[in-house]
Amino acid sequence: MIDPIWIWLTPYLGASALAILWIFGVRDERVYDWISVGSILVSAIIATILTPIVYNGHLIYTKYAWLPSLGINFGTYMDGLGAFMALIVSWLSFLIAVYSTEYMKRDWGVQRYFFFFTFFVGSMLLLVLADNLVLMFVGWEGTGLASYALIGHWYTDEEETWVGDPGRKAFGTPMYFEPSHSGVRAILFTRAGDIGMIIGMALFYMVAGTFSIPEISQNATGWMGFLASKGVLSAALLVFSLGALAKSAQFPFHEWLVTAMTGPTPVSALIHAATMVKAGVYFMLRFSPIFYNGAVALGGVALTATEQYFNIIALLGGITAFIMATMALVSRELKLIWAFSTASQLGYMFLGVGAAGLLSQKEMAYEGIAASAAHLMSHAVFKAALFLIAGWAIHAVHSRFIDNMGNFSKYMKITTVSIWFAGLSLAGLPPFSGFWSKEGVIHAAEAAHLENLWLLAVFTAGLTGFYTVRAIIRAFHMPPYEPPHHEAELHEAPPRILWPYTILAFTALAIGLAWPFGFGADFSNLISKTLGFEKPVQLAVSFNLTTYSIIIWVLAMVLLVPALYLVLKVDFVSMLKTSKTARIFHDFLYDRWYINALIYIFIVGGFLGIIDILGYVDGFIDAFYHIGIPIAFILISKGFRATHRGRPDLYLAYYAYGIGLLLLLLYMIWG
Amino acid sequence: MEASIPILWISVILPLLVALVGVKVKDENIDSIAYTLAATLLLPVIVVIIAAFKGLLGEGLVDPWMAHIGSVGTFALTLDGLSSLVIAGVSLVTAFVSIYSIPYMKTRVTEMKEAGETPPSLGVYFFLYSLFSVAMLGLVYATNMVLFYIFLELTLLPSFLLIAYYGYGDRKRIAILYLVWTHIGAVMFLSGVLYYGFHVGNFDYLDVNTMTPITGTANMLGTAAKYVALLMVLGLFVKMAVFGFHMWLPYAHAEAPTPISALLSPNLIGLAGYALARITVPIFPTFFAQYKWILIYLAFTTIIYGGLVALKQTDFKRFLAYSSISQMGYMLLGIATLTPIGITGAMIQYLSHALGKALLFMTAGVFITELHGLRDIRLMGGLARKYPLTAALALLGFMHLVGMPPTIGMWSELFIVFGLFKDVALTTEFIPIVMLVIVALMVSASYSFVTMRRIFYNKPRSEKAEMKTETPGALQYSMLFIGVMGVVFFLWINPYYHGLLEVIHKTFLFAGIGG
Repeated sequence: MIDPIWIWLTPYLGASALAILWIFGVRDERVYDWISVGSILVSAIIATILTPIVYNGHLIYTKYAWLPSLGINFGTYMDGLGAFMALIVSWLSFLIAVYSTEYMKRDWGVQRYFFFFTFFVGSMLLLVLADNLVLMFVGWEGTGLASYALIGHWYTDEEETWVGDPGRKAFGTPMYFEPSHSGVRAILFTRAGDIGMIIGMALFYMVAGTFSIPEISQNATGWMGFLASKGVLSAALLVFSLGALAKSAQFPFHEWLVTAMTGPTPVSALIHAATMVKAGVYFMLRFSPIFYNGAVALGGVALTATEQYFNIIALLGGITAFIMATMALVSRELKLIWAFSTASQLGYMFLGVGAAGLLSQKEMAYEGIAASAAHLMSHAVFKAALFLIAGWAIHAVHSRFIDNMGNFSKYMKITTVSIWFAGLSLAGLPPFSGFWSKEGVIHAAEAAHLENLWLLAVFTAGLTGFYTVRAIIRAFHMPPYEPPHHEAELHEAPPRILWPYTILAFTALAIGLAWPFGFGADFSNLISKTLGFEKPVQLAVSFNLTTYSIIIWVLAMVLLVPALYLVLKVDFVSMLKTSKTARIFHDFLYDRWYINALIYIFIVGGFLGIIDILGYVDGFIDAFYHIGIPIAFILISKGFRATHRGRPDLYLAYYAYGIGLLLLLLYMIWG
Repeated sequence: MEASIPILWISVILPLLVALVGVKVKDENIDSIAYTLAATLLLPVIVVIIAAFKGLLGEGLVDPWMAHIGSVGTFALTLDGLSSLVIAGVSLVTAFVSIYSIPYMKTRVTEMKEAGETPPSLGVYFFLYSLFSVAMLGLVYATNMVLFYIFLELTLLPSFLLIAYYGYGDRKRIAILYLVWTHIGAVMFLSGVLYYGFHVGNFDYLDVNTMTPITGTANMLGTAAKYVALLMVLGLFVKMAVFGFHMWLPYAHAEAPTPISALLSPNLIGLAGYALARITVPIFPTFFAQYKWILIYLAFTTIIYGGLVALKQTDFKRFLAYSSISQMGYMLLGIATLTPIGITGAMIQYLSHALGKALLFMTAGVFITELHGLRDIRLMGGLARKYPLTAALALLGFMHLVGMPPTIGMWSELFIVFGLFKDVALTTEFIPIVMLVIVALMVSASYSFVTMRRIFYNKPRSEKAEMKTETPGALQYSMLFIGVMGVVFFLWINPYYHGLLEVIHKTFLFAGIGG
């Protein structure tokens, strides 16, 4: 058997090779293409070879010493979830790397691009396969670093790489973002959550005495009981999960993901849609069974605290799903629509996990968690396809705005079919993959009696259908509002760009078609081999009245779009110009509920204010030491000098005083 | 274990001999002296690595040459787990910065001559440089407070002269400012040491026969122990530039010639943190236990204050100086937790800050040398396009400060936080400490990545910033080695961690500190 360590080590070795070649002055693009694509392909193949072993119920687990006394090793833990994630990550990375070789051709930073791309793949695979928290954190931070570098890939900040309308402001806060700015935002937002994760690790170190995830799972009742007895269990779990919330762009950390769209489109597809933002979901999938089992075994206070925690997770997920979907309704940038949608769909996954944690029946809880995993998979596939198509669309018209796009369906047949497959999967209509997985999540919310969140999720599903089809219709089936500024290259994409997204879009359909006929069962079987799953799960959608109503509701929202745009020909643009109410509503959504402005005004502005004050404080300390004290001494010296001017009468007077003082003292001592 | 050859003394004396030979060498031929000096300065880190391979760090290594001087104690040099990473930091940085100095100082001297000044020759520079370096090494090796103080004074004089001879701006005034300030610290420390030594009967803080720390002696001082501890700790705080005593640092570190800034800032000030852990914690454990919370909050103040004021700076080197203050806060924090893992983190922090900050000061130096003294961040921008390798290394430097893998900074960050939470996790302090940790780490990340952007990304904001393109040379390659070592130690932390922990456990056991 091949050592599973190679799955994440190979891309790391590839990235190291690229760094060394770069230092030695090799700049040939093809070398970078081959090493990057090759190392990712190797790890994908190894993951594929090993997955059947896991599927058949054998855990693959190897480790090499790093800091063994703390339980920190280079340990590769390939259980059901690990194998599943490794498969998705490696194959998607491979397809997107192939796409990149064409898309990034002759870019001025292509070498740096492939270095960070490969480094990212290694980190992401490490993250999902690590057997202990610290090693996972290494991968976690590695993905963050790569994300930062790739978001800011075009760091010279040319206007065509920005996100947002140049010049637009909300409450005086600029709403357009340069790549270098977005990079800083991304790393700081996610870092804020990661600190929570570090603190969580500190707690595990203290309470559980280990970082090893299997051991944490084994001792769950021990450490959870201890934390619960101290009354900090829910707070501790939440602090530990902050990193996941930030990484997966859940409210209130979602802002960074929106502006991350300044990166090259394949990066958005891989990192900000298919894989890295799923790290938070992976984290939840990995730990929620552990928390759940521990809480159920303990009962009492621990159970209440854990339920509190899962309630918060579900609530944040539901809120994120909804608010991000509303923002996507009005966005004018194709990539931004998909970005909002990504955060929204991640919200569904958090909702699924949170709801699952509230279920009292073990089988149902695991099923809810597995449904989130299924949604992770289907979303990774169709969203990567949508982003890759967006990349080609933007390239074709040299503009990121859908206003400049139009009538693509006349020139790109295969692409049109692909975007419809992927888009309908996102909308969650049968028989596409998105339907089964989203249905599973919504079902979990229903089973957990989260009525409000369930309603919100269903409503959001309709919004999802609407914004998805709106984007497709406007770019593919309507003439552009404004003709593009540059000459458009309207033709089918070259093969290395076309094939990756076509394959992905057809996969979205294929998974959906095969789901009821065995694929769903296979998937369930693989996920059942996950750490903490005490019972096998069987994902199945029962078609009942609720299911049909949801399908009809989504279908209605989907059909509403062509009705409005193509049949009734409603002109939303002039409507905005005439109606003030429409404009206020539009601006509220377009400026992202003003959350960004509020963060800048209060948090960033607050710190800037403190910095200004501290600047004065520092100046004061400086002046005190280096002006105040010297001046004081100069004055003292002047005072003393004034008394020593060489006048005998004064000296005699001092002498007399001195004698007097001395006598007084003697008198006091002996008197 | 006693070494078979006096390798530690050799590593202190050899660089000095090389530099003595070089004093009269003409500036054109100085390269070979600098390279030889670098090779000899690497000796200590090689010893550390061999000791780590052989698993000797916990037990320690004693140099066979030692002198027993009556009531003063034993003058001996040792190396053990606690000092291993500090030695590695001093050795690596001084060695590679010495190579870096060649192009840098040649430019600096030419520039000064053009301005009509007559700086001493580069031979003198390298002599002072090596004296400064070996004094730092000796300080870490020392086992006796008097010897420690002698080496401390020995670091001061060459660094003072180096600033006065080759510095920038109002360098004479700043050199004196530096001298006076650090002397205040040194004298406070010395008065504590003298009081201690005369009452206890000798000045040792490490028993070279058993390689165990001297503990329990504070009882002989009676009620004065608290004040003696306070004097020593405050003296070290001045050296370390803890908040309130930090004002000398931005001047000295910003205006020193850049290679010297790269030695002063991460290496010298961190030694005060090492001395806290090595000398004061074992001798005065009750003092540290009693004032634990004050020290922890002082550390947080230093971290946040230094980091926030750094963000306001427009001068690159001054920015780095404030960031050093902030980083020293982390070191103090690790020690103040008074837990083995926290102190381990603090000592790893020494190395990670040494490597990271050296990289960043060297980055500043690259631009000062090549772009006609460009050091105003407002005039930079877009430099990554012209200086890709320097930009990559600067990013690696910032990653050391932020504590991101794959740099050794991750370990120091994790261990310090682990140490901190060991005791507070389940008390009422939990929530405030969580908030403080988040703010502190965020401040570090903010100033790092914001500054990275201001310097390297976006468009050049002045003509100076687009004058030249990078041709990697001694400047960049010496940086590259330092950066690589940061990754190597990240991967190969195990023996150092165990060495550190073994020594600290021993200390805690003898000093009777719980935890």
